[in-house]
Amino acid sequence: MNEEDQYKNRIELLQGTLDMLILQTLQWGPQHGYGIVQALRLRSGDVLQVETGSLYPALHRLERQSWVQSEWKQSESKQRARYYRITAKGKKQLVSDLGRWERIVEAIGLVMYVKPEESES
Amino acid sequence: MKWFPSFGFQRRKRELQEEVDAHLQMAIADRVARGETAETARQAAAREFGNIPLVQDVTRDMWGQAWLEQLGRDVRYALRQLRKSPGFSITATAMLAVAICANSTVFSWIDGTMLRPIPGARDTGDLVSLQRGERNFSPTPPFSYLDYRDLREQNHTFAGILAYHHDWITLTGGAQPERAYIANVSANYFDVLGIKPVLGRFFLAEEETRPDAVPNVVLGYSLWKTRYAEDPAIVGKSIEIARHPVTVIGVAPEGVVGAMPGIREDLWVTLDPLGTDVWRMTHRDADWLNVIGRLRPGVSLGTAAQDLDTLMHHIVAAYPDQHLGDNRITLDPMWRSPFGANGYMAATLPILLAFAAVVLLLTCANVATLTLVRFVSRRRELAIRQSLGANRIQLMRQMVLEGVVLSIVAGAVALVLTSWTSKTFAWFFPANSNPLILNGSMDHKVVIGIAVSSLLVGMLCGALPAWRSSHAPAVEVLKAESASISGGSRNRKLLSGLVVAQIALSLPLLLCSGLFLRTLRNLAGANPGFEQDHILTASVGLNIAGYSHDEEQVIRHKILDRVSALPGVKVASLTDWIPMTLGQKKEDAYPEGYAPRPHESLKVLHAEVSPRYFESLHIPILEGREFTPDDDEKAPRVLIVDQTAARRYWPGQDPLGKELRVWGSLFTVVGVVRNSTHTFVNESPEPMVYMSFFQAGYETMVQVKTEGNPVDLAPAVQNAIHEVDTRLPVFDVRSMRENTQIASSFAVIQSTLAGMFALIGLVLAITGIYGVVAYRTQLRTHEIGVRMALGASRVDVLRLVLLQGLWLTGIGLALGLAFALGLTRIIVRLLYGIGANDPITVVSVVMLLGAMSLAACYLPAHRAMRRNPVTAIREL
Repeated sequence: MNEEDQYKNRIELLQGTLDMLILQTLQWGPQHGYGIVQALRLRSGDVLQVETGSLYPALHRLERQSWVQSEWKQSESKQRARYYRITAKGKKQLVSDLGRWERIVEAIGLVMYVKPEESES
Repeated sequence: MKWFPSFGFQRRKRELQEEVDAHLQMAIADRVARGETAETARQAAAREFGNIPLVQDVTRDMWGQAWLEQLGRDVRYALRQLRKSPGFSITATAMLAVAICANSTVFSWIDGTMLRPIPGARDTGDLVSLQRGERNFSPTPPFSYLDYRDLREQNHTFAGILAYHHDWITLTGGAQPERAYIANVSANYFDVLGIKPVLGRFFLAEEETRPDAVPNVVLGYSLWKTRYAEDPAIVGKSIEIARHPVTVIGVAPEGVVGAMPGIREDLWVTLDPLGTDVWRMTHRDADWLNVIGRLRPGVSLGTAAQDLDTLMHHIVAAYPDQHLGDNRITLDPMWRSPFGANGYMAATLPILLAFAAVVLLLTCANVATLTLVRFVSRRRELAIRQSLGANRIQLMRQMVLEGVVLSIVAGAVALVLTSWTSKTFAWFFPANSNPLILNGSMDHKVVIGIAVSSLLVGMLCGALPAWRSSHAPAVEVLKAESASISGGSRNRKLLSGLVVAQIALSLPLLLCSGLFLRTLRNLAGANPGFEQDHILTASVGLNIAGYSHDEEQVIRHKILDRVSALPGVKVASLTDWIPMTLGQKKEDAYPEGYAPRPHESLKVLHAEVSPRYFESLHIPILEGREFTPDDDEKAPRVLIVDQTAARRYWPGQDPLGKELRVWGSLFTVVGVVRNSTHTFVNESPEPMVYMSFFQAGYETMVQVKTEGNPVDLAPAVQNAIHEVDTRLPVFDVRSMRENTQIASSFAVIQSTLAGMFALIGLVLAITGIYGVVAYRTQLRTHEIGVRMALGASRVDVLRLVLLQGLWLTGIGLALGLAFALGLTRIIVRLLYGIGANDPITVVSVVMLLGAMSLAACYLPAHRAMRRNPVTAIREL
């Protein structure tokens, strides 16, 4: 399997989840790609390491779906960078993504934390 | 999508690059801030980021227009690859161009004839031609005026039905008399065809049968242009036709040439403009009209035929004596209408198109072979690109694109070639007495046809090899770059398959062309039953130049006397028909005392001939006598019948003295002549009756038996006729051999094209098998070297290589033979004097193809045999 396929698979794996994480990160304010990677890493306590090969396609896809908007701005360190901002449509999407995510977590929890005697009956 | 997507695309590409750069810069800055050195920070950031071009690639995919950029890139890449191997590119393009051109040429002929049966007419798909009685090639006009009018007025299925009859006439009144083809037409003629005049008007309903002191005429566009200098005020002016003044009422649009496919009409008048044809306007047994109807919207051919059949049934019941023969009505769409040229076209051209399609398939197989070999030799490059991240679809797309680029170029070349070859159709028709305007046409349909076939060809030539080649496992190829893998066994199977296909496809082409060529030879060698050498014929435009009947008779006698007296003339005679010139005259004939079977056609062919006609054509009189100068208008009407007529009407009896009713008069049989060919050598014999020229002759043709070359006498004969009257138009002065050529022109067309296609097929198949065997042998050089070093003799090597080729040939021949024997069934009707599965032709074609393939395999085998084993082993 070559490199591109690996990336693609990862995008599929994280589809929805990655979108949700990106949108959530942008809730706290406009951010550039590098900033999003750092923010996710910090907030997740160094657990979530987003690959650039997943991040940038996802950002560009979100922009195409009008869930985010982008503009070029100077960063604090005088670096010109492309900042992404969440749109009203994106916020709505985030809410529905979050709702789905919670249902999935709940459902998985129901399966995983089943009491032994109940399962035997 | 934007108008200039590539423009925005370039900008976005730059921005993405910047975005990635910014990411890297920030990552480096962070690392440096944490105390790393600039160099380690840069390396670490780059490593963390990953494969930059790939990230960009995947990101660009999200934009939704990546395919465009990739297409552009792939096209450029394909062009570069093709430029790298000009030998392959030029060969493949040339082969594809020829094959596509073969198809488009035949299609342009179909387009110019069958698909455009009546130029200028609206919706020709709704037009159908009406035939009464038995169906055959070149039928004579089937309807009388009164029957036509009943059908026209009482039917429920037609929007309109038109009728016409056409013939030559002389335009007088100008500086030079000129011969033109004139049509008597029903008043609704142009209406039914859906044609509007460019000047003036067409005929009115009340003018249809009304004789006028000064009749009206509609001019064809080209006649108006050439003879009347595009006079914009021509309408209302008086011109002269056959020395009668007529008034021009309108001009037809450019390109309109009348209602009979393949025949050019120059001008149009009403059915009986002078009131001189009362007999044929009022008799139901005078069949002289060709009839075409326009179906009402939504009416099927079958419903319309039923409607007319019912009507015809009533007419026959009401007038049984005038309808004794076969009266069933059949309808044909114009593309295969038996009236005019399309009957012949429909029998020949679709078959030739099928042959051309086989040639195209064959060429595809050949080019696919070449392409596959090329891809195999490029497998290292493909493997490297695959390991660098190209996926299979991308690789395939690129390979297919190379084929498509080739085929587009080939299509463009074919387009240019076809614009010329489409016009070569007219070459096949020798000079003849009909105003034929047959030719191919090069319109949007042909262009679309070329575009579609070239794209299909591109997919076929590119896709198959690409599919196979993209399978190659990259690691294997890169690891073991040696002759031992020789492109993999899958490729080997595909290569063999393609070679077998080429042989299998070329065999039917060869067989059909062999059968056609032998048909042509049989036709040329057949005895038509009359003398073709040392005969000169010349038409005299006597009946169309405006002479009275008595004047005509005097002039005819004078011409006969003058021409007979010419030195070099052995026998001179007059006739109004020349055999094997596509022309036929037919009339209802009622033999006295003969009871026809139900639906038996009572039509007989007839010709009016003068004394000594049979003598000059060497047609023996079997019984009775020939015509004499005494068989003139004052004498009782007499007939000479041929054997077919005698056997049909009076089996087992002496036909002499029997009587036959034609045109309402009784004719007595005075002689029987041997059968001879009337129209085609391969016709089924129809009864023929000869009448005395001076009793019933209509047109005047001089037929001369000469001592030497007949053409040498042409000027003298022409002079002799002009000595009688300088105003007499003389035309179609030709030798009999030249006259009869038109009868075999379709045999010439089919054998010429089939022969050319077969030659292309043979060359492709042979080069195909040669290429594959040579290529494989080259790949096995090392192995052969080892075999020889281990003691294999040269004969062993020869056998090794030859056997490989022979296997392929054998399988190809077997498959091809099955295919060919199936295919010959559809050409049975076009053959003469030879069976569709003629064993001699089959065996010789198989031998030819087998021998040529063997020779093609022998060359590489011979080369391998002569190799020095030591150098062969070294070669990898």
